[in-house]
Amino acid sequence: MELLEDVQQNKQVLSTGCEGIDMLLQGGLCVGHLTELVGPSSSGKTQICLKVASRVATRYMGGVVFIDTGNSFSPLRIAHFINQIPDTIFKEVEQNILEKVMSQILCHSVFDIFAMLDVVHQLEYSLRSQVQTGADQVRLLIVDSISSLITPILGGSGPHGRALMISAGFLLKKLAHEHNLAVVVTNHMVGGEGGILKPALGESWKSIPHVRLLLSRDPGSSICHMSILKHSYMASGRAARFMI
Amino acid sequence: MAARGWICTDESAKEMLSRVSAERSLMLLPPLHRVPLRLGNVVEIAGPSPSAKTQILIQAAVYCILPKEWRGVHYGGLEHLVMFIDLDCRFDILRLSQSLKHRLMETSGSGNKVSWEQNDDPWGSGTEEPNIGYDEELFAACMRRFLYIRCYDSFEFLATLKTLHYRLQRARETHGVTAHFLMIDSIGAFYWVDRASTSLHLESNSRKRLSLQSVSETVVEEIRKLLLVHPMLVLATKATILGDTYSTNEVKRTSMNLSSNDPSNLRTVTGGPQKLSYREFMPLVWQSFVTHRILVRAADDDPANSKYQSRSIFLSEWLMPSLNFSDKFIVRDAGVFVVS
Repeated sequence: MELLEDVQQNKQVLSTGCEGIDMLLQGGLCVGHLTELVGPSSSGKTQICLKVASRVATRYMGGVVFIDTGNSFSPLRIAHFINQIPDTIFKEVEQNILEKVMSQILCHSVFDIFAMLDVVHQLEYSLRSQVQTGADQVRLLIVDSISSLITPILGGSGPHGRALMISAGFLLKKLAHEHNLAVVVTNHMVGGEGGILKPALGESWKSIPHVRLLLSRDPGSSICHMSILKHSYMASGRAARFMI
Repeated sequence: MAARGWICTDESAKEMLSRVSAERSLMLLPPLHRVPLRLGNVVEIAGPSPSAKTQILIQAAVYCILPKEWRGVHYGGLEHLVMFIDLDCRFDILRLSQSLKHRLMETSGSGNKVSWEQNDDPWGSGTEEPNIGYDEELFAACMRRFLYIRCYDSFEFLATLKTLHYRLQRARETHGVTAHFLMIDSIGAFYWVDRASTSLHLESNSRKRLSLQSVSETVVEEIRKLLLVHPMLVLATKATILGDTYSTNEVKRTSMNLSSNDPSNLRTVTGGPQKLSYREFMPLVWQSFVTHRILVRAADDDPANSKYQSRSIFLSEWLMPSLNFSDKFIVRDAGVFVVS
């Protein structure tokens, strides 16, 4: 019972900034959940991550930690998203808001899993020891392309790679639950049997994220297509189309 | 004289049978209803991810926490506690509350059922409707019977098991009823982590090394000891990796799927009614502890079957005791419903 109260009080839903996704997910990303975005290359995963980051930073005035593995973080694009929001009138106010919002988004470039675990542990310590005020509280953690960190160590029959992957997953989930963050990770796709694409990272990863979303983009257009692969309480297979 | 008391019988076999069958009566939980279960059984629900295993647990939990009768309305539940140990850390309490609300409203026979089903939003906007149709007090009482523990690694799990006896005793004192269900979500969650720690060699040999074997042995032993004192039905889910005896079927099915124009043709494709083999990865100690095993998996969505559109059909098949047919069930807002 206390769990339900905790969920209702602390774990709000963060809007993703994109109406199609919000409608699909009935409000947006859940705080306390680990959401995975799967899709082939250039299907819009990083764009969605940037959009969500900019939305959380402006609308909820929350801190965002962006762990970037492929140098895909683009401050210009974030500024573009922020300027799209038609809230401000004057140019100076716009500039101030821009600065404030940008200062809330922290980007870390990591290139291997141990560095990522390091960053996440540091975040955990700082969250645990700090008394958070309302404005600067970290609300969102994005790991762009967790698959590029884990794929090099997976493989073979040894358990170490998978053990590391699973313990990283548990660490992220623990962070999400205890400190009221929403965590987003992206994953790419690999070829499966019969030439059909399937999400990378294998079977053991499948039971780690709370929500798995499949993205695809029609070639040549900017319309993305997203469907739910797995969700805690929504039937899988629901789909939505939207544009970024 | 005291010695004579030792030799006298406590009760006859007939009395014992009637006592035990009253205390540990058989239960039928859909979709596990093919085989009646009683307290003291250990059921393993195995299946690839995702396949509605947690939904089955939620359904059973709702059945257990509902009261038998409340203010004249018969709910037909067990009115006992449920202890849920979440090793996967993925449990969503909103789903449980949604299922419970549906069941309460269905049974209390209110007229708001139609409007509730159309309004699928679980985030509190439903409770602001003028006529709620379920009893808030009853809802709170039921939710309090659901005990939840979360473990992030094997150490925490072992620690929880060792202290579970006292927790259950305290819960029995607070609520007045015993726990009937012990649910473990994803017993194999720490398998890889434990396997990896086996190969690490510690310097000192005096402390017992934490290996997969020793963890499983301790887990089984603790649960066994617990079941002696608190008789419970143990329901454990397990995420399995299905074997590749059906891979040829998969290629045929996916080529059929490609011709139809649905965008989500990356769904897990499984074979039809044939027997699927899966790799058993839990150590032998756990395998021999399990008394019942059921395999669930997702079936194909037939595009012609538009009644169940956007709801997957799941197949379930009893492996231990081995029955030769499989049931189909779907998951709706109110819970798990058997189709065939």
